[in-house]
Amino acid sequence: MTEYKYIGKPAQRVDALDKVMGKTKYVGDMSLPGMLYARTLRSDQPHARIKRLDVSPALKVPGVIAVITSDDFANHGNFGFPISDHYMLAYEKVRHVGEGIASVAAETPEAAIEGVNAIIYELEPLPAVLDMDHALDPDAPQVGPDRTDRKHPNFIGHFPVYKGNPQDKLAECDVVSDHQYETVMQEHAYLETEGGLAIPTAEGGVTVYLSCQSPFIPKGHLCSTLNLPDDRVRIIVPPVGGTFGGKDDLNYQTAGQVAALALKSGRPVRMTFSREESIIASYKRGAMRMKIRLGADKDGTLRACEFKSTYDSGAYSSQSPFSSWRASIHAMGAYRYDDCSVDINTVYSNTSYAGAYRGFGNTEVCSGIEQAIDEMADALKIDPIEFRLKNCLKVGDITPHGQMLDESVGLTDCLLKVRKMSDWNRKRDEFANKSDGDKRRGIGVAALFHGTSLGAEGVDEASSTIEIHEDNLITLTSGLTDYGTGARTVYTLVAAEILGVDPSRILVHNPDTNTAIDSGPTVASRTTMLGGNAVRIAVLNLIQNIDWAAADYLQCDLHQIHRDGENYIGPSEEPIPWESVVQHARDMGLVLSAHGRWTAPEIDWDEEKGTGTPYFAYHFGAQVAEVEVDLKTGLTDVKGIWAVHDLGKVIFPQGAYGQLYGGISHGLGYALYEDLDFQDGFAQNVNFDTYLIPTAVDMPEIQGGFVEAAFSKGPFGAKNIAEPSMVPTAPAILNAIANATGRRIRKLPANLERVMLGKTLAKKGSAESCKISLKIT
Amino acid sequence: MLIKFTLNNKPVTVEAPADITLSVLLRDYLKMTGTKEACEVGECGSCSVILDGELVNSCLVAAPSVMGREVTSIEGIHDADGSPNDLQRNFIAKGAVQCGYCIPGMVMASEALLAKKAEPTREEIRIALAGNLCRCTGYMQIVDAIETTAEERTKNGTNLKRENRSQ
Repeated sequence: MTEYKYIGKPAQRVDALDKVMGKTKYVGDMSLPGMLYARTLRSDQPHARIKRLDVSPALKVPGVIAVITSDDFANHGNFGFPISDHYMLAYEKVRHVGEGIASVAAETPEAAIEGVNAIIYELEPLPAVLDMDHALDPDAPQVGPDRTDRKHPNFIGHFPVYKGNPQDKLAECDVVSDHQYETVMQEHAYLETEGGLAIPTAEGGVTVYLSCQSPFIPKGHLCSTLNLPDDRVRIIVPPVGGTFGGKDDLNYQTAGQVAALALKSGRPVRMTFSREESIIASYKRGAMRMKIRLGADKDGTLRACEFKSTYDSGAYSSQSPFSSWRASIHAMGAYRYDDCSVDINTVYSNTSYAGAYRGFGNTEVCSGIEQAIDEMADALKIDPIEFRLKNCLKVGDITPHGQMLDESVGLTDCLLKVRKMSDWNRKRDEFANKSDGDKRRGIGVAALFHGTSLGAEGVDEASSTIEIHEDNLITLTSGLTDYGTGARTVYTLVAAEILGVDPSRILVHNPDTNTAIDSGPTVASRTTMLGGNAVRIAVLNLIQNIDWAAADYLQCDLHQIHRDGENYIGPSEEPIPWESVVQHARDMGLVLSAHGRWTAPEIDWDEEKGTGTPYFAYHFGAQVAEVEVDLKTGLTDVKGIWAVHDLGKVIFPQGAYGQLYGGISHGLGYALYEDLDFQDGFAQNVNFDTYLIPTAVDMPEIQGGFVEAAFSKGPFGAKNIAEPSMVPTAPAILNAIANATGRRIRKLPANLERVMLGKTLAKKGSAESCKISLKIT
Repeated sequence: MLIKFTLNNKPVTVEAPADITLSVLLRDYLKMTGTKEACEVGECGSCSVILDGELVNSCLVAAPSVMGREVTSIEGIHDADGSPNDLQRNFIAKGAVQCGYCIPGMVMASEALLAKKAEPTREEIRIALAGNLCRCTGYMQIVDAIETTAEERTKNGTNLKRENRSQ
């Protein structure tokens, strides 16, 4: 095995120092002389026609400098990919509570609010779709855009996977389980809310500092909706205070709004969201209803899976066509089946809207299928880990999609390791024999697979540039963003390893569309693989020149040179400092900059037949949760979590563990209390006093472990960790609760009443807190 | 009104409206943006500062109420030469930082804890952090950093000594 100097070795984050000192400047910390403050008027109706919109009173408010509506954008500000159903500000209709209608820029934040409140508008209520099960009723109110293919306007897409005929196979199986599972909306809850700062440029364009994931996407939107040529729009990503998938569409609208206001006023304009505004206006993890039938033989061999589901995208399609597709690919779990079918239908409604969130469809389906697998194991009276070990995917298996897995499948090792780490066998026996008292212990497991990067969702490549400057500082660019994940540290370690220099010599810039190269979206846990490979290739292209210079300096052949630390050593055995070699390269007239691009292996998916090669590689993992449930109160206390993941070669261990622990915290909240509850389209919890996310006390001690089943095409064999870390947590906790109480909760979250009473209490919702928060005073 | 108080061991006088919070006073009037705002209802702890030795959410403190009192913000936490102190170095060393938005508040909560309790257990550390939300880390490495700092301060005999942590 190759011994590396930096890869997989202890390292520190490149951006941690400024953050612990409080020096890091997020968008909301930035200000410029003459800067205006912007606020947006937002809909207080779930579905309505904009009957009247008069912004002229706002302009009469002292301090208000500019006001914009959809009229200030080309084509009314229409944008969206893959479906262009979204607007920079609402056009003709509003489709969810919180949708932006008009934006105001003013000298002070107070004047901006006064301006917003001065706008005269009338919303004529329209009947709304408030239950996904009725979105496709023939007489359902139309939420989605007009269409010409005679399909229902509220239908977004059908996402199938088909292998054989599970209906027939299920009839032949010894044991069949048939249950329904349901998930609810989850809020990203990044600590930094949305924001952007736009600066008009001398040549009539605009530069926007935007807290976002994928700067090239809003750049494109600004060019098209503001009629600006490519070279007049620049997006710079400042340090980002977390996103987890959540700073795409909504903050692209923010970018459009501050950019249009900056162009109109000729002054810098900054907009930052309050927490209430962030929660009410932003997209969520979408809600999903699943019906899962599994069939198995008495000996514990899984035979068939039939998965049917509806996914609620809310008012806009956003990323739902892609997340629904990812959900369909992972819906049956990481198992072999003779026959399998998945049918997911994705629909519009007027309940907020759903977009990208960590796990991107897999988090939702995994919470269903991994409970279903447990219920089948129970029915067969087989230990849940044994059952998974017997049926899980291994190297050489063909997945239900028809893909041969020829390398890097570490699930069996993950399950074996997590069983040992968690002391599973002892605890499972012990807890089974203790059923007295009000407090019951339980232990549960869940496994996952997670396709790496975009898969058949789109073109999959990334670029990086590298340069050695006159003072020997090495700078790197990537088109992919580090929004807290540690990607810049990963890039630094990859470059340091190959260049043979100390990581402290390297500075990785945040993405800037003027200097970085479009590398597709920063999503799908793809930065390490795609961005890391692009860095690797850029460095390899650069080091050629340095090697030539070393051979010339040392008057020998390339193969006679070796490295000792940073030094170059030739036949004379005299160490030559790296700086001297670099200077010699300059003296020889060699270029000390390079570009690298990596394109992922080609894959294919047949959207009709539901077969193909959806992803070029998969992450695998298994988590065990131990809980103590108080039967009197319904309180679930998670006592411990053990998590073993196969993420390929680990490049930055401390960062990988950080991703693992953080993902588990999102999963724990999803399991037990996170529910962005909408009643009649109005959010019921609009700040952290009512939308609860796990605190340090709620989180247990976590023991993590890695199985490094190297992937030959990953940088140094790396795959990924960010999203998959959260995917199995909720079902592991739900399975532990079932183990503790003997009762299964098939609708997330497993809150007090569901655990204690086994049912959801009817709640009378209120639009009040939402409306009060929107009525900014 | 004129608000006079001690900020990070230095006297400060600032002209500001009477109806703003301490977090706004720090961020908008003194341009000290290390203190973050993320909920403005006292739930997330991003705006944590130490007021007369007590950890407070500065978004819930009326600015005039700090008159004549001592405030320590993240800008006041460092070694004498301006470099990170032992706690901040351990946050870096243990991987406690991801997006970083909650970190100034976490550092303040940690210092407030360590000023009162020399050798907290991990459970006690978690309780002390319960008012500070982090969405990135799952808190493990933050607890590690505080635990290690407590151990080191105890070993060096520098725990519970105020001058060690705040300049």
